[in-house]
Amino acid sequence: MPKEGTGSSVIGGRPRGEDAGATLVEARGVSRYYRLGTSVVAAVQEVSLSISRGEFVALQGPSGSGKTTLLNLLGLLDRPDQGEIVVGGVDAGNLAENDRSDLRRDRFGFVFQTFNLIAVLSAEENVAYPMVLRGVGAEDRRARARELLDAVGLSGKYAVRPDLLSGGQRQRVAIARALANRPDVVFADEPTANLDTHTAEGILDLMRDVCESGGVAFLFATHDPRVVARARRVVALQDGRVESDAPR
Amino acid sequence: MSVFSLAWRNLLRQRRRTLLMGAVVAFGFAAFALAGGFIAQTFAGLKEGTIHTVGQLQLVDRRAVSGTEEKTLEFGLPDAARARTIAAADPSVDSVIPRIDFVGLATNGARSVPFLGIGVDPAPEAKATFAKELVVAGAYLSGDGGDGVVLGTGIASALKVKPGDSVTLMATTPDAILNAVDAVVKGLVDVRIRELNDRYVAIGVGLAGRLLQSSGTVSKLLVFLKPGADENGTAERLERALNAAGYPVVARHWRELAVFYGQVRMLYIGIFGFVGAVLVVIVILSAAIVMTMAVTERTREIGTLRALGTRPSGVLRLFLAEGVAIALAGCAAGAVFALVLRAALNASGIILPPPPGATHGMPINVEFYPLAYGAGLVAMVLTMAIASYFPARRASRVSIVEALAHV
Repeated sequence: MPKEGTGSSVIGGRPRGEDAGATLVEARGVSRYYRLGTSVVAAVQEVSLSISRGEFVALQGPSGSGKTTLLNLLGLLDRPDQGEIVVGGVDAGNLAENDRSDLRRDRFGFVFQTFNLIAVLSAEENVAYPMVLRGVGAEDRRARARELLDAVGLSGKYAVRPDLLSGGQRQRVAIARALANRPDVVFADEPTANLDTHTAEGILDLMRDVCESGGVAFLFATHDPRVVARARRVVALQDGRVESDAPR
Repeated sequence: MSVFSLAWRNLLRQRRRTLLMGAVVAFGFAAFALAGGFIAQTFAGLKEGTIHTVGQLQLVDRRAVSGTEEKTLEFGLPDAARARTIAAADPSVDSVIPRIDFVGLATNGARSVPFLGIGVDPAPEAKATFAKELVVAGAYLSGDGGDGVVLGTGIASALKVKPGDSVTLMATTPDAILNAVDAVVKGLVDVRIRELNDRYVAIGVGLAGRLLQSSGTVSKLLVFLKPGADENGTAERLERALNAAGYPVVARHWRELAVFYGQVRMLYIGIFGFVGAVLVVIVILSAAIVMTMAVTERTREIGTLRALGTRPSGVLRLFLAEGVAIALAGCAAGAVFALVLRAALNASGIILPPPPGATHGMPINVEFYPLAYGAGLVAMVLTMAIASYFPARRASRVSIVEALAHV
């Protein structure tokens, strides 16, 4: 794992004493059902999947195949109806809401299709927000946020509010925010869907760089062939089940 | 980046809504502050008026507490001058004035009118009770009062007399003998209560003694204390000193003597309490609607905050902080508004209508009453916290997945 404070290694994940390839989050036979009127729809059915340190994984499949649902389950944004989501050896599916919040804060980062930056905060403050939740001191937060913004190519945009940034810049801020607490895994739901081709390429290169230099695992839910092309592992979903899971 | 900083920025983002809600809070606060000042003024005025009428303490014969006189001065204090000297010697006492209460008939030779009379020591009476301020024609009694009489405007009108005219006062003595004295009208007073104006007669204790044939005896002694004096402690000391000197007196407090003071106070508290409760309900409903709208509009933001690791309690705190921030800002604006409005009202010279039974209205005078401002602040902050709580709780419990998918 690269050392902090030099080049792109600034944005790397935290060393946890776990070897490269160690499982960070794992789904064990998880299912998630939704009620649609009087019928029950299985969004995810008995899926087992693990994500290890440094992986760059794409969840691929048509609309309604369960990509986002699986991403949400693995990212502890949702609870499975069946099965287990294991994080750090613990079934996080049954943890109390506060414990799940703390796990997301400390171990996971999130990048959304619509960026989801906090409108009233500057770029620097958006990046610093997860560190506020973690109780990091103001000076350390500021330094870390600026390092991350520098690393994603947004030097000089520290004080700019999201509404004054372009789509690509916003997504870069979102990536910097996702990395703020040195996560193990970044979950990205269609991160390039709202970006033009050139910008999307840049964002993907950035995430790939972060993955390779910092050992942070990335899990994408995507339709985008550019994302799939860059993934080192592609998990194909169909009707809520894993159809294939293969390295590239 | 504190929760209040984030809350405040969110409020600034929704300027129009924040201004609207802030205005509701500001008006609510100003209503509390002004009503509080008005009530305080009313209570203070009522208290002062009561004390100037009945004294801060009254020294009366023990029998007068529960009994009713069947004869004039039956429960009087003989050798009142000595008792007055003993009472006046107490370090907390400012002044002691005698009062003789009696009833009788006043006549101008052609017409007789029943009256409620008081015998007074004119100079200290005028000083302690501001009696001179009530004079509308002629002058108040002076010296020992001589053969002068001061009449209420109503009885003077009934008798068709004016200052300088003569009247005859008739009353029964303690021995049940009808006696009469001639008196010269020195002045007319308006005692502010119509019924009393029709019956009011004041003469010096000397003339009253001649009329009642009971020199040296008074009905009671009115005691006025120095500012800040301990009322209860002084009452106990006076009772001890006078009892030891052979006077079987008790000291009665002004609150016991002016039952209407407590009744009026309770009436005002009831009226303003009801209005205040209505005000609080209006603010709660308005704030709840505004906060519910804020939660609905920011559902996706809530989902994002939760996804990033904000605990449900953190989301709850954020929205509560927004409510409290509006309350604080609204109260600040309301305080300025209240102070400006107070100055305008006090300068306006508006005369309030006279209360039932009174003949004169009072000029409006809203006091600056810090407790009302403090109470307004507490009420508005609590109100906004309560109003924000339920929308905030809803926000904290929202499903993250559903919130992130919210359009």
